[in-house]
Amino acid sequence: MRKRWIGFAVWLLLAAGLYFFENNTGTRIILLCSALFPLVPVIRGAFFGPDEKSPDMEKVRTQQTIRALTTQEEDEPGDVRPYRPGDPVRRIHWKLSAKRDQVLVRDAVPVRDNEEQDRQEDAATARRSGRLRRGLLRGLAVMMPTCLFLIFAVPAARCGGEALCNRLFAASEAVNAYAYERFPVPESQSVTAAAVLIVLLLISLAGLTVLLHSRLVTLGVMAGCTLFQVYFGLSLPTWANVLLYGVLAARMLKRPFRRESVLLYATAVLVASVLTAALLPGVDAATESASEAVRDRVSQMIGQLTGTVAELPEGEMQTRHVYTQSLQTGRREAVTEREYRLVTVEEEQISRPHWVDVLRIAFLLLLVVAVLVLPFAPFLLLNSRRKKAHAARKVFASGDVNEAVCAIFRQVIAWLEATGHGAGNLLYRDWAARLPALLPAGYPDRFSQCAMAFEQALYSDHPLGEEQRQLARGLLRETEAALWKNAGWKRRVLLKYWMCLWE
Amino acid sequence: MRTQLDNVLREVEKVIVGKRDVIEKILIALLAEGHVLLDDVPGVGKTTLAVALSRAVGLAFRRIQFTPDVLPSDITGFSMYDKASGEFIYRPGVLHQANILLGDEINRASSKTQSALLEAMEERQVTVDGNTYPLASPFLVIATENSVGTAGTQFLPYAQMDRFLVRLSLGYPDHQAQMAMLRDRQDRNPLDDVSCVLEKEELLSMQRAVRSVTAKDAVLDYITRLTMASRTHEAVRVGISPRGALFIDRMAKAAAYADGRDYVTGADVQAVFRDVCAHRVLLKEDSVTTAEQVLDDLLKKVASPDRHGFGAGLKMK
Repeated sequence: MRKRWIGFAVWLLLAAGLYFFENNTGTRIILLCSALFPLVPVIRGAFFGPDEKSPDMEKVRTQQTIRALTTQEEDEPGDVRPYRPGDPVRRIHWKLSAKRDQVLVRDAVPVRDNEEQDRQEDAATARRSGRLRRGLLRGLAVMMPTCLFLIFAVPAARCGGEALCNRLFAASEAVNAYAYERFPVPESQSVTAAAVLIVLLLISLAGLTVLLHSRLVTLGVMAGCTLFQVYFGLSLPTWANVLLYGVLAARMLKRPFRRESVLLYATAVLVASVLTAALLPGVDAATESASEAVRDRVSQMIGQLTGTVAELPEGEMQTRHVYTQSLQTGRREAVTEREYRLVTVEEEQISRPHWVDVLRIAFLLLLVVAVLVLPFAPFLLLNSRRKKAHAARKVFASGDVNEAVCAIFRQVIAWLEATGHGAGNLLYRDWAARLPALLPAGYPDRFSQCAMAFEQALYSDHPLGEEQRQLARGLLRETEAALWKNAGWKRRVLLKYWMCLWE
Repeated sequence: MRTQLDNVLREVEKVIVGKRDVIEKILIALLAEGHVLLDDVPGVGKTTLAVALSRAVGLAFRRIQFTPDVLPSDITGFSMYDKASGEFIYRPGVLHQANILLGDEINRASSKTQSALLEAMEERQVTVDGNTYPLASPFLVIATENSVGTAGTQFLPYAQMDRFLVRLSLGYPDHQAQMAMLRDRQDRNPLDDVSCVLEKEELLSMQRAVRSVTAKDAVLDYITRLTMASRTHEAVRVGISPRGALFIDRMAKAAAYADGRDYVTGADVQAVFRDVCAHRVLLKEDSVTTAEQVLDDLLKKVASPDRHGFGAGLKMK
């Protein structure tokens, strides 16, 4: 049940993300239609009978089985067959069993009269219609707020987002203008550096995916597309994004659903849709005009500073005058296009609560930080593993020999496990019999000795001697050499960088 | 200590051939101050084994054959009115005369007799008419249950099975062992050759030493995880009780001691787990496995104490 709701939430997010930047009637209709999505199983149930795999049906079937096992049946002269494990004791034919010296069981012949059958069918129909009604109600209850939310809340949020993006873009333009003025950069150099950075990022991403054997490839592709869109201000067709989500879903959601994969998927979709929805609308016509205004203002300021322009031009003053008047009278006339724009921007600032801006800016900042940090996450992860491995190795030389022997022997075990020669859940003393033949002669004996020392160190209070530490060290050296020699390059990369066993 | 136990084993093996592991387990149970339930067909040498053991260790041996009309007072003793002194005098029962008591076919006794015996086993004392009498020490009960000819018997309830430390089974001897047994008994009784190689005092001090064997938290954690897992296993109706966990610990300690160590390892726990727990696991009616299979399954599934807590050093996978 809960899984179904998670799926529904994911769908909702997807729909909201779509709605964010597809603002025409067709998409709205599609969204409204897809709000009927939760009703599909209900309708199917109404026409094709109950879903055989659903947990409800499982319960019904279990109850039926229990009833069949517990009800006393009439003493019918039905077929008799030998007892099989699992047969109910009630069904044993004691008399015949005693006579033939073999446990016999009356074969299950469900004898039911037609009346009862009819009654059961009636009950099933009633149950089904009841479920249909409940399902319809539930679907409506979900659908109505969803549609209301999509129709009323989203456009307002979208306008807010656009306004915010305009501001951000304007600010960045101002900064850019200043930066270009003060720190001129040769075109060719900056392009090369950027290309090198991007290639490095791609290589690290690919290396990481190979190392992890995970589904990061799709995630990476998606993140790349999103960044591409954000950077170049291009709006790829919405359906390409939808397709990506679909591919992601198909690759990540293995059946039966696992909670972590669903969570991962939901997070990925959320991040992707929020990224595209929050950053994309900023790069369109409205932004262009906003940047024009900023450029005008900057050149004006420069003019004022250098003294070429003594005061603001006549038009600006008029505009402000009109603006204040319109506030008082409620009129919205504008003399020129530019004045009109100024008026609308100011109005937005007044009508929208201030904290919405603050929240959105904070959220955007968080996103920016995440985008900056995420490419380095794999390296941080690898580094932390390396540090942990070093800390573990430091114990090898600790003053407490018991602890050192335990640590060294566990390193041996880690090597065996990492190269696929481990013996699973067995006690370590029993591993010696299962060690591979590629290890040097006499190795199992030394392994057994070391396992005994390990047990003594782990389970008793007796202090071990220095020679045990030497024995364990020797064993570790031998293990490392033999297993490293026999490992393929993939395994070596794994051993060295991911497991950090080899230094 | 190992040599002393080997001596005892060698003496008992003069009489019971080819059953070294079972004899060793009974000895370990004796060291752990527990009681043994033997589940066997008649005539495989249960009594002979108990007699030989008592002789080798220098202990008093008594045997009681349970039938439905054996009364609780037969084993615990009873107070009798003495006309001359006008007082009640306590007549000790069979329990007071024995260090090793063989209760043959315990499932034939009435339930009140069973419970009287089991109470004495648990508390190592007997209370009759308000007076408490301690039993001899060491005290080992070897009870047998016949699995054939069970008509008219009262099986031990689960709660009382739980009080036995181990359930063992001697089983038939193989070809060579039976030949040797026949050859030994041609003109004499090999029981006469068994000499006392271990004094009672030595045994008592060994029992004390077993109590002081170290069991570190790793081992206790393993026992706890094993018993917990038995309670949630899908084929099990009633899992291993806390008393069962306590008994695993005691038996593992004794096993470690018998192996010449003064600390318990995971291997000791694994070695005794089946014997200690097979009679403590009640399976569901519809399950097709046996208790032994369930226990093997648990040993396979529950992470061994060597592995558990691996994260202390280097974490894998």
